Amino acid sequence: MRPKRVVVGAGKAVAVALVLLWSLVPIAFIVVSSFKPSADIFAVPPRITFSPTMQHFADLWTQWRGFFTGLLNSAIVTAGATLVAVVASTMAGYAYSRFRGGAMAGTAVFLVAVRLLPPIVITLPLFPMVNSLRLNDTHLVLILLYSTFFVSLGTLLMRTFIDQIPRELDEAALVDGGSRLTILRRVIMPLSSQGMLAVAVFVIVFAWNEFLFAFIFTSTRAKTAPLFIAEMMGSLDAFDWGVLFAASTVQLLPIMLFVLLTQRHLVAGLTGGAIKG
Amino acid sequence: MAATTPRTLASTVASHRSRNGRFRIPVKALPFLAPVHALVLGVIVIPALYVVWLSLTTSTFGKAPSFVGLANYVHSLGDPYFWRAMRNTVVIVLIVVHVELIAGLAMALLFASGLPARRWLLAAVLAPYAVSEVSAAVIWRFLFDADVGPVTVALNALGLPSLEWSVVPAHGLLIIALLSMWLHLPFTFIILYAARLAIPTHLYEAAKMDATSSLQTFRYITLPLLMPAILVAMLFRYIFAFRLFSEVWLMTQGGPARATEVLAVYLYLDAFRFSAFGAAAATGWLMVIVSLILGVGYLWGLRRQMMGDAA
Amino acid sequence: MSKNWTRRQVLSSTLAAAAGIAAGRPAWAAAKTLNVLGHRVHQNSLTTGVAGDLTKPWRDSNDTDIAWTTFDTDPLQDRLFREASLDSTDFGVGFLVNSRATPTVAPLLQPLDAYRARTPIEDFGDIAPGLVSAMTINGSLMAVPFRTATIGLFYNEALLEERGIKAPPATLEELVDQAKQLTFRSQAGTPVVGMVVASDLATFPVSFARAYGGDFIGPNLKLVPDPAAMEKAFATLADLYKAGALPRTFATTSNDDQVTWLQQGRAAFTVLPFARYAQLNRQDQSKYPGRIKAVEFPISAALKGKMPMASCVEFWAMCIPRNARDKDLAWSFIQTMSGKAITLGAARNGNGPARTSTYSDPSFAAAQPMAAVEAKALGGARVPLPAFPNAARAQAMFLEEMQLAVLGRKSPKEAVVAIVERITPLMTA
Repeated sequence: MRPKRVVVGAGKAVAVALVLLWSLVPIAFIVVSSFKPSADIFAVPPRITFSPTMQHFADLWTQWRGFFTGLLNSAIVTAGATLVAVVASTMAGYAYSRFRGGAMAGTAVFLVAVRLLPPIVITLPLFPMVNSLRLNDTHLVLILLYSTFFVSLGTLLMRTFIDQIPRELDEAALVDGGSRLTILRRVIMPLSSQGMLAVAVFVIVFAWNEFLFAFIFTSTRAKTAPLFIAEMMGSLDAFDWGVLFAASTVQLLPIMLFVLLTQRHLVAGLTGGAIKG
Repeated sequence: MAATTPRTLASTVASHRSRNGRFRIPVKALPFLAPVHALVLGVIVIPALYVVWLSLTTSTFGKAPSFVGLANYVHSLGDPYFWRAMRNTVVIVLIVVHVELIAGLAMALLFASGLPARRWLLAAVLAPYAVSEVSAAVIWRFLFDADVGPVTVALNALGLPSLEWSVVPAHGLLIIALLSMWLHLPFTFIILYAARLAIPTHLYEAAKMDATSSLQTFRYITLPLLMPAILVAMLFRYIFAFRLFSEVWLMTQGGPARATEVLAVYLYLDAFRFSAFGAAAATGWLMVIVSLILGVGYLWGLRRQMMGDAA
Repeated sequence: MSKNWTRRQVLSSTLAAAAGIAAGRPAWAAAKTLNVLGHRVHQNSLTTGVAGDLTKPWRDSNDTDIAWTTFDTDPLQDRLFREASLDSTDFGVGFLVNSRATPTVAPLLQPLDAYRARTPIEDFGDIAPGLVSAMTINGSLMAVPFRTATIGLFYNEALLEERGIKAPPATLEELVDQAKQLTFRSQAGTPVVGMVVASDLATFPVSFARAYGGDFIGPNLKLVPDPAAMEKAFATLADLYKAGALPRTFATTSNDDQVTWLQQGRAAFTVLPFARYAQLNRQDQSKYPGRIKAVEFPISAALKGKMPMASCVEFWAMCIPRNARDKDLAWSFIQTMSGKAITLGAARNGNGPARTSTYSDPSFAAAQPMAAVEAKALGGARVPLPAFPNAARAQAMFLEEMQLAVLGRKSPKEAVVAIVERITPLMTA
């Protein structure tokens, strides 16, 4: 027994090391570069030792103050889109789980099939539409757009999770006099938290980094962080790799914090779930 | 057959009823479906109808659209660059979807088997998905620089040839696929991992008591129960990969000499550089048709799954 | 489930903050706002730098705030036309680049002659006539030139010295020679290529073609007026690539790479706007601060002295969308920002001025070491290709064939034939 466990343990360690290497090397490069003096960032041969500096973050604050407003806008849009997407997906996922039939299956397939059209082409008619509704440059328009792009996936995911919740619970609540809405709120949602979290993670990461729609539909009031980062790249006279990487690092932090925080939720959901025993 | 949750008589009767009223949507379901379908209708379907009309016109800034029938479609279908973009797209999609599935599954099982400091490992694994594509591409371009990039140097030290992604189109496609996988593997991983966590532990305990081997456990318990999630992951990864854009645009700009151009880049050039909206709309619909043809297998599997019992 | 409150609390507090931001305007805001759609460089040259915020007097006297919306070049132009195609737009002023000022988009812009008559621009004749005529479509002035970027040849003096080259090239042949010599491993241990260029810009192959007396598309819309010169240009470039004097990654090199490579000493020559001088020599970014200089792009020996080198120049102009709401306010802005004093101030802030007089102003030359060289190059300069409806497509095809020729996949002759064949139908469309 013991030699086998050692081998398995060693194998796992190697696998984990490879996974970490693959995931983290480019990111480490970004984060480390944000502390490197500009001249050293792309130095050839690459510099491993250098004297760290906070200058890029200082420059980010003084020269690109708008970036931080952009982060706030990104946060608002991301939070809103996540809320809408998760709630809508859970509702629809519940319906697709509990109600079966050809028509239902047809609408579900339709929901997925519409996603085949590249979003880039629908910006062409959407732009004048949004402008005539005076929704241009608002957080609301981005919230609606972003959540729409994930309700198809979200619905399917929630259906998969809700399928794991036995219908007896539904029946029990119905017998107790609850409406289907009550079932959803009190029975289904708590038990499918992993699924909701997974959907939330997708929407959050997408909305946080999304560029095309933010670029087309915002100008100043709702300009999000990725627009600033893209601008840092394509300047006509002076650009600063250090500031770009500092901005990327700053933009990455909230997501990483979110993942670290909700980690506990994911694990707690697993060990605490009454059904899974 | 996949394991099914036990059903009471009542629910069996209920589902039987809905199966008989097969081609109608139960009224009770409507309010739950409303938000999702309202969003999709307003944001995607209605503009899509306009895009159909647009694809039948020549349209650009400063000119009113003029009807040209199927000319845009004929032009695209007769354009060798369109077909090259199509070929490149299909190649990348096939690589990306399947390699990511295997890697994501392996990682999901690795994590599920119990790891120390799981919170930090999970954060590390999800980090590439969270990083901005712009910065990621800049770094990859440097890391893989054919002369001085650290990865190139490392590859050469191991005796492997450098990735000449600026010169050889096949290498260009490879690095684009690699970058796309790096950015999106966390997506596949998290779907499969969450699904794996949702599999009841008592099934595995029972298997252990029966002294089932790991391979058998995988084949008869894990894989079947993961099937729905695998289908969802592959389907959406396939959808996202088909319209892959930034990886190409930021790495090779479709070069050298348009050799690594993909359909989304082809479309982007028409829509935003040449301001030829009719042509762009037509390319968009051609992309829908092609991805429907290629993905019909997945969609059919989805439909079967939606119709049948849980999992 | 007890951790749910954290997420919900965060959610609700951010939504509350959002509501707070969306509501109400601060008491100190001005009565009106002018929305300007431009590039960050335009905003910077008018608001930050040695000469400070040049818009303040205008803002105060008009009780107007300026809200800048900035994007990169291609997205900026797209957004400008998109906004101008609506029923009405919030934007009052937009910045237009020369390559997009075609008769097709003219209907989207407000003709400015009537505004000029009412509130004239100071000493209009001082604005370079070539730029003005490029912005005059169907006889009406559609935009007022604001910024020029003339392309020059940058070189790394220190690297030239390492190879014993005393002076930068005076002819194209010398450039080719020196570029080959400068493909070596420098004292710092860095592999150096002679020349780095961005593969997606027409300025670079067009410069080579013009050095041999040819062009891509002449000012009279003649396609490849001198095929032999173009073939020679492609052949020279292919030769440089084969000799390793152009990077192996030439087909995917970007604009940013050019600056970075020169700063890091990975290349000895490049072709960039003169305005990049400051950045290339930045103490904190460059390994060779103060050693990167620029000269006019050299013409070939056979033509030297016989004709001026037609360096590439690109420029920006300020326009008013035809559907803008407050055009008088917009014109007031344009007219004021085009004045002599503000043009000089913007130049000192790093802008390339559109007025000829600015170049000879002593305070400008003091801040810009390349002023004299740039002024001379500007004298004979021309846009890389004229603005016509299919210009973007023509440029894309040109670059594609050029890349194939340089990479050796086609012979220069085949590439030139393909260019003429593929682009001729586009010229008349």
